[in-house]
Amino acid sequence: MTQHASPPRDDTPKMSPMEGPSPWRALTARADVRTLSLLGVLAALIIIGGITKPDQFLDTRNLQLVLTQASVIGVVTVGMTFVIVSGGIDLSVGAIVALASVWATTVATQEFGFLGILFTSVIVGVGCGLVNGMLIAYGAMVPFIATLAMLASARGLALQITDGSTQVVTVQSVLDLGGRDSYILGIPPLVMVFAVVTVIGWLLLNRTTFGRRTVAVGGNAEAARLAGIDVRRQRLYLYLLSGLCCGIAAFLLVVLSGSGQNTNGNLYELDAIAAAIIGGTLLSGGRGTIVGSVLGVLIFTTITNIFALNNLQSDVQQIAKGAIIVAAVLVQRRTAHTT
Amino acid sequence: MASEPPLLTMSGITKSFPGVRALDGVDLDVQPGEVHCLLGQNGAGKSTLIKVLAGAHQPDSGTINWRGAPVTLRSPIAAMRLGIATIYQELDLVEGLSVAENVYLGHEPTAAGFVVRRKGARASTAALLKRLGHPEIDPARLVGDLSAAHQQIVSMARALSHDVRLIVMDEPSAALDPDEVDNLFRIVGDLTADGVAVIYISHRLEEIRRIGDRVTVLKDGRAVAGGLPAKSTPTREVVALMTGRNVEYVFPERPVHDALPDPVLEVKGLAREGEFAPLDLTLRPGEIVGLAGLVGSGRSEILETIYGARKPTAGQVLVEGRRLKPGSVRDAVRAGLGLAPEERKAQALLMLESVTRNVSVSSMSRFSYGGWLDRSGEREAALKATRELSLRPDNPSVPVRTLSGGNQQKAVLARWLLRGCRVLLLDEPTRGVDVGARAELYAVIRRLADEGLAVLLVSSEVPEVLGLADRVLVLREGQVVHTAPAQELDEPRVLDLVMEGTPAS
Amino acid sequence: MPEFTSRRGLLFGTAAVGAGAFLTGCTSNESSDEPASNDQPAADDKPGKQVTIGFAGPQADHGWLNAINENAKSRAKKYKDVTLEITEGSNDTAAQIGQIETLINKKVDVLVILPADGKALTQIGLQAMRADIPVVNLDRIFNSPQAYRCWIGGDNYGMGLNAGHYIGEKLKDKKNARVIELAGLDNLELTQQRTQGFDAALKNYPNIKKVARQAADFTVESGQAKMSQLLQAQSNFDALWNHDDDQGVGALRAIDQAGRDDFLMVGGAGALSAFQAIKADDGVLKATVLYPPTMAASAIDLARALGQGKGVGGLAEFEIPASLTLYSAVVDKENVDQYMSTGFK
Repeated sequence: MTQHASPPRDDTPKMSPMEGPSPWRALTARADVRTLSLLGVLAALIIIGGITKPDQFLDTRNLQLVLTQASVIGVVTVGMTFVIVSGGIDLSVGAIVALASVWATTVATQEFGFLGILFTSVIVGVGCGLVNGMLIAYGAMVPFIATLAMLASARGLALQITDGSTQVVTVQSVLDLGGRDSYILGIPPLVMVFAVVTVIGWLLLNRTTFGRRTVAVGGNAEAARLAGIDVRRQRLYLYLLSGLCCGIAAFLLVVLSGSGQNTNGNLYELDAIAAAIIGGTLLSGGRGTIVGSVLGVLIFTTITNIFALNNLQSDVQQIAKGAIIVAAVLVQRRTAHTT
Repeated sequence: MASEPPLLTMSGITKSFPGVRALDGVDLDVQPGEVHCLLGQNGAGKSTLIKVLAGAHQPDSGTINWRGAPVTLRSPIAAMRLGIATIYQELDLVEGLSVAENVYLGHEPTAAGFVVRRKGARASTAALLKRLGHPEIDPARLVGDLSAAHQQIVSMARALSHDVRLIVMDEPSAALDPDEVDNLFRIVGDLTADGVAVIYISHRLEEIRRIGDRVTVLKDGRAVAGGLPAKSTPTREVVALMTGRNVEYVFPERPVHDALPDPVLEVKGLAREGEFAPLDLTLRPGEIVGLAGLVGSGRSEILETIYGARKPTAGQVLVEGRRLKPGSVRDAVRAGLGLAPEERKAQALLMLESVTRNVSVSSMSRFSYGGWLDRSGEREAALKATRELSLRPDNPSVPVRTLSGGNQQKAVLARWLLRGCRVLLLDEPTRGVDVGARAELYAVIRRLADEGLAVLLVSSEVPEVLGLADRVLVLREGQVVHTAPAQELDEPRVLDLVMEGTPAS
Repeated sequence: MPEFTSRRGLLFGTAAVGAGAFLTGCTSNESSDEPASNDQPAADDKPGKQVTIGFAGPQADHGWLNAINENAKSRAKKYKDVTLEITEGSNDTAAQIGQIETLINKKVDVLVILPADGKALTQIGLQAMRADIPVVNLDRIFNSPQAYRCWIGGDNYGMGLNAGHYIGEKLKDKKNARVIELAGLDNLELTQQRTQGFDAALKNYPNIKKVARQAADFTVESGQAKMSQLLQAQSNFDALWNHDDDQGVGALRAIDQAGRDDFLMVGGAGALSAFQAIKADDGVLKATVLYPPTMAASAIDLARALGQGKGVGGLAEFEIPASLTLYSAVVDKENVDQYMSTGFK
């Protein structure tokens, strides 16, 4: 029944995949349909803003304003994107931002000045991320539950620290950083931080083994494990990263608002998730782009800006936000089917 | 019995899935009150056939007659309404609901059209359970809290809660203890005495002998024999029917080894309670060792335990004399083990990613400079590895999901080739690979062995093990029942071993 | 503002007369542990029979709510004949119902309830009243007058009204004056009431037009974000009313960041930081409209009076009133010293 013969060797000539498409084609191929459609949406918004409020909208100050407003949630979204790409979720980002901003603005912390506030924000963020990561990676808790627990405790702790009061920053160097005098070549320092975090996030996701492992864990955790990836350690690092981003965002928020309050970061988790999803990150993991997430944040911030400039009220803003999320996901599903 | 009009007649049933013709003109007839056994190897088409019967799959062509009238089974509900109930191997119970709620799921007794009469449902569930010989199961308990055997009883109670005339049982005895099997047979006897017909699927010939009336044998999507007497057809004949092949594979030539080098892999007393008994095994470079056995014989479990994906309850694995950390995939990979798992899509591949990334995923540190990826180096290495295996298309930047089954398997092999692994563990390497591509895959595996890899091969396709391996271990229910050089075995002999468990003389 | 201050005499416990005495000590950053309010008691100071007052409020996640708790506690401490049973504080209606039921079961003499949601907690108020425990309903009003013996709370409409009048008087002589509004959380009825009051007051001044309104959500963060957008949208305007001093911290930050000082700003609620800014008079914030947390102290006084069967000093009636709406006084540079001690953090 079984025959033995020499194995067929394959000697047919092969085309090298290395040579081939022109740089331009490579570029357009790389910028996938989804990113282009997001850019299209942003362009449309800019046109709408320009038509309805030409003087106020198309203005350097407004550009600075929009980007500044996008910075805090933008940094959070970069961290969130990593977590979602890995197939997880971090519901605690808003609460971590609140806790870190509050801890960084207590009377005791403020005595240590600028560095004290910066250091405390980042450490508190990383610490919360560490707890999340340990619970999820080594405590085998579902990310949804672990970070939900963190949400509750971090908010509670933030409330305990402040007793509900607003902690005003008195460190002048921190306050100055949020003012116009600290702009460098017209770019607010907050926006620079956002840009740096975005670039680092992009490099980390696309150019490093860390990013590759993140995608692998999110795409197929079991396959990643069987391929020899330390899935648990990777998860730990991812929640640490998200915590770090929250810490940075908390510092930006302290600079921006000149205060720390336990209600800070309200619903950041939903905003960040929404921005990432609109940007093309799969909620089930395995795929996502930093560029898309940042575009998602910019789209939301721009909409808010246009609404405010046109004096539209919160009800309209909320309805539009919901509609945009639904529309973006529907478009995303369509493009996913056609590709 | 044969003089009665048949309860069910299926004729010319054909069903294709992309790339596979699962059923190719199958005929089957079932009489009221009989136990009709379905026999066939894995992939012969048994589960597709019962899914057609359950209304879960729609046949491409063919007719189904139910009590003399043609019917179309558009949905599981339609099948149930006719009186056809199916008890699947993987039980489809809702663990969070009570026994009674499961039994009446979808057809709850109601008052005023929507209020569930819980008491009524519980009482009639209790009656059903009593009839099934298990009055001790409390209808109010959560199904998730029950043992596997009791869950099966609940599944059966659910089937009986309908006005049922035909029950399909897919390997119902697989999860049961011997006493429970006796109870199962008693229930089957009671049912048939009431005129209910049973289609019974099992791998165990002795069970078929005990309760079967007639046997239909499926092979490669065809019914090669229909309605044989279950008690009197000789085993040899049944086995021959199951194994007779249309397609003859071309297997690569076995090299003659004078003396193989020292073992690279040694497995000593490795065991997992409830899955497989202590196992000893040595594997030398250049050698292909095959594990033959049926589903549930512990084959995949053995591979995964050697690989560290499951933690052993006893024993150890040594690679070149160094003991691997039990239950650590990373340690196994570091030592030079590589696994091509059975469920390629679920366990091996990143379906959204390119071939390159799938190939490089286990060797990322090689292309990492302080975490920074050398992407062109990665691409070149992946290309080299995939070319070595003649992976098609010859472009590793295409998404792996666009590849055929055989080429996906090659991508997995290329992963381990790139990693430079020493021991390759192959679990059903040709599952989902079409016939034409198999020969090429066999050649690749043999060549890798010739180049110094040690290969441990698991397959439920006996000819594959016999044709490819140098040495074969035959498994039955977690135990090695026979070890021999492949040349000394033939397919009927191996099938005897895996089904009956004792080496036939 | 003289007419406002003269009417204040009718109210007890809110507008302070003697509070100025320890004012100076409170202007420093050091917090005095005791959130001060008027020392003037509702009934009288004479010790009466022992009264146990149960106090149930929402979670103090906001400066104003925290001040409510502190005012209640320190007021109760003043009286030797009052025992205060204070609950955890919760924003969850069900949890608050549970807490109040516990107080009822403990058979406290009087209940002071600041419900997380007035409508949703009406039943528990009724239940307490039926159990012969008089209820002092604080600020967020129950659905039914049967659910409380006495309601005491702020006046949101009046806040808007007074803010509008203050701004109106300041801009009276200016042609085509432009005003903007930074509202609080739009989901809340009180925000709508404040806006209605504000609009009603501005109607008296035909030269003034409200050109923009955006809603923040009582947080510093939202105050900064919404204010910076408003500033971008309106390159010139003359006055701003901000509903809430907490979000005002963010609004002031945005104004500072934009480098704007070409308008006057009026706040709301009465935070210490706002009082300090008004006193310093070095920025746009010129006044704030009170929504005084001292009402909690008054509520304790009322509860004590109810428990001891007394009336209210200064009124002719034997019984305390069924309803007390507090006056939303405007605090500006002229009278800020008087209020400094009532400012919350």
